[in-house]
Amino acid sequence: MRRRGIVLLAIAAVTASTALSACGGGSEDPAGKTTVTFWQQKFEDYQQAWFKKHVDAYNASQDKVKVDLQVVPADTWAQKLKAAQAAGKAPDIATTSYGNVAPGAAQSQFAPLDDLLPAEAFTDIKDNVKGFVTVGGKHYAYPMLVEPSTVLYYRTDLVTAAGLDPTNPPKTWDELLQWATKLTQGKVKGMTIASAGPDLGWSSWGLQYNACGRLPINDDWSKSTATEPCFEKLLDFYKTLYQSGLIPKTPKVGYADGAPYGQGEVAMMAGGSWVIGQLKNDFKAMVPKTAVAAFPSIDGDPAKTTATLGGWTLTVDAKSKGKQQAADFVKYLLAGDPAIMADFFKTSGFSKYTVRTSVDQALAGNPDATSDPFMKVISEKVVPYGKQEPAYPWDISLAFGTAIESAMKGKADVPTSLKTAAAAIDDVIKKQSLAGTAPK
Amino acid sequence: MTALDSRVAVPADPAPDGVAPQRRGRRAARRGRDNRTAYLMIAPMVVLLGIFVMWPLVYSVYLSTFKISFYEEPEFVGLDFYQYVLDSPRFWESIWVGLYYAVLTVPTGIVIALLLASFIKTLSRRAAAFMKTTVYLPAVVSTVVASVLFVFMYQDEGVVNWMLGLLNRGPVNWLNDPGYALPAIAVPGIWLSFGITTLILLAGLLDIPENYYESAQLDGAGFFARLFRITIPLLKNVLLYLLVTGFTLAIQLFELPLIMTNGGPVDATTTPNLYIFNSFRDLTPYATSFSLTASLMLFVVLGAISLVIFRLVNSDKAIDG
Repeated sequence: MRRRGIVLLAIAAVTASTALSACGGGSEDPAGKTTVTFWQQKFEDYQQAWFKKHVDAYNASQDKVKVDLQVVPADTWAQKLKAAQAAGKAPDIATTSYGNVAPGAAQSQFAPLDDLLPAEAFTDIKDNVKGFVTVGGKHYAYPMLVEPSTVLYYRTDLVTAAGLDPTNPPKTWDELLQWATKLTQGKVKGMTIASAGPDLGWSSWGLQYNACGRLPINDDWSKSTATEPCFEKLLDFYKTLYQSGLIPKTPKVGYADGAPYGQGEVAMMAGGSWVIGQLKNDFKAMVPKTAVAAFPSIDGDPAKTTATLGGWTLTVDAKSKGKQQAADFVKYLLAGDPAIMADFFKTSGFSKYTVRTSVDQALAGNPDATSDPFMKVISEKVVPYGKQEPAYPWDISLAFGTAIESAMKGKADVPTSLKTAAAAIDDVIKKQSLAGTAPK
Repeated sequence: MTALDSRVAVPADPAPDGVAPQRRGRRAARRGRDNRTAYLMIAPMVVLLGIFVMWPLVYSVYLSTFKISFYEEPEFVGLDFYQYVLDSPRFWESIWVGLYYAVLTVPTGIVIALLLASFIKTLSRRAAAFMKTTVYLPAVVSTVVASVLFVFMYQDEGVVNWMLGLLNRGPVNWLNDPGYALPAIAVPGIWLSFGITTLILLAGLLDIPENYYESAQLDGAGFFARLFRITIPLLKNVLLYLLVTGFTLAIQLFELPLIMTNGGPVDATTTPNLYIFNSFRDLTPYATSFSLTASLMLFVVLGAISLVIFRLVNSDKAIDG
């Protein structure tokens, strides 16, 4: 009996160690089949289904490589990835945001894909996106999509009821404040926008560009520019929205979630283009009553940036033992048959945008894509003016987001909040030796 | 007399001198065996403590002298990160937030628990059993569940603002106003912890001999005289335990602000652990080393606070009834 227990314990230990060793690092089984792990950050439900469908199809299409797909929730992603990297078990393939490509490449975290993928895979990427994944002339990630971080959604029925013209959405921040004031009726607030520091840290990048034509750091990352007067106008804008009661003061969800708009709690919403997918999937009744416009500009100039083009890529880990196999899968999923990515954009309700010319061509023949009113506005009026997400450390974005929040919630006045942010940014520059390290 | 005292207080040896060396030798051998058994019994704990506490601590201190990268050679930076942490205003703000939270919750929790324990002591056995279960119930509620529950209660249309509305006040922006957020989090914090504090204090109260109170009453001592002259002095060690554990636990608060406010608004609820956790989530090598060093500094700060409490309360040796 005791011996049997020991045997069982040994089997359990071997099984556990086998399972753990399969967590990363590209392993090969005795039959010569290589397993590569793929960590996908958890996005909207339809994305999980899409990834699974195509991973299964890839695994069934050949018998040399098995892709092991693991979905990791966004709020545990960073610590889980770090723990895996520390243990030498980082995933062979991972979803990586554009903002993390350059910092990851600087730390030698990603394998350059130029030797692993054919050259035509890169010529297919649109010119304005190539720079997002290129560091020092090498491609460290393969782009999947772009999605503007800030777009204005509004309820046409409520706008009409308030005596406003739904075909002529606000063009300036002042007009937006007027609309929000008129649309704040009873329990329905005029609009919703980020109001918590971490959300503001990234969702305000586009409006930072809009207000000042730059982010709150100089071009070579040697000094903060947060105290420039143009940023005061940005903080004043957010402060007015919050302190005048035009946005919910206790939001139940973060900026990325469009549920308050879908549930009719607000008449307008600043949200990413991805919310279109959420509305089409979860709040279908709201879609006919919704119009989309470029987010208003500080002075009404529609050519000024109002959104950063965020989005996701796939990267191959520099320590992967199956780099080529991992890259082969990336090629299959993102750089191969345009129909695969066309299927993705269709599934997303055209709430995200292509990064490859060939996928654009594949979608050109799709009447759903060409007639989608939301897609037309965003691709013509927002995407062309969108800027790349910053590649500097998150602490800088957080310092500026905290300054906006501080002004909104009355912790400090606008100039003091900006001074605090500038000091925090200069501190990050000094301690992380950032001066002169901005990617070219 | 404590168990320790009874072991030490061995009766005097009445044996004549001739027999003494032999007996002394036997006693020494027995003591040696006893010691061996004692060492053997504490060995597993010492080994486990060594493997899981001492070694990681020493190794962490060693690692904190490097800028850790998982892809490139770690860069030796000496004590730079200690200076970075000590320089960081956000680290010190988080310590103040932790201390403020501890000040809000620990004394309040102890006072409520003392009142409840005194009340339970006066009840019949059956009523006391019912009350003890009722009071302990929040302690078994998951912090996550409590956090979500209180987030709903603090909403604009939540029950708290509804009650304020009955008094023609509010609505108050409980979780999104830098002035209210931490006290708002302290309420579920107290609610979750006072059950166990009550039971510990009740055990302490029941340990105080009833005849002390009877004598005091005969001498004409009122309620407050009995409270301050008998109850509190005799509960000193229990209160010291509750203060030290309460403060160190409160400063290390993590789940409530993580779920209810994510450290906001404007860092008003960023406790030290949450600050370290958020620092760690940044994917840079700097962030990894910084959060590790900040954890070690927090360890020092917590040790110092415990030491200060010990000094302030000036603990005596246990007083037996």
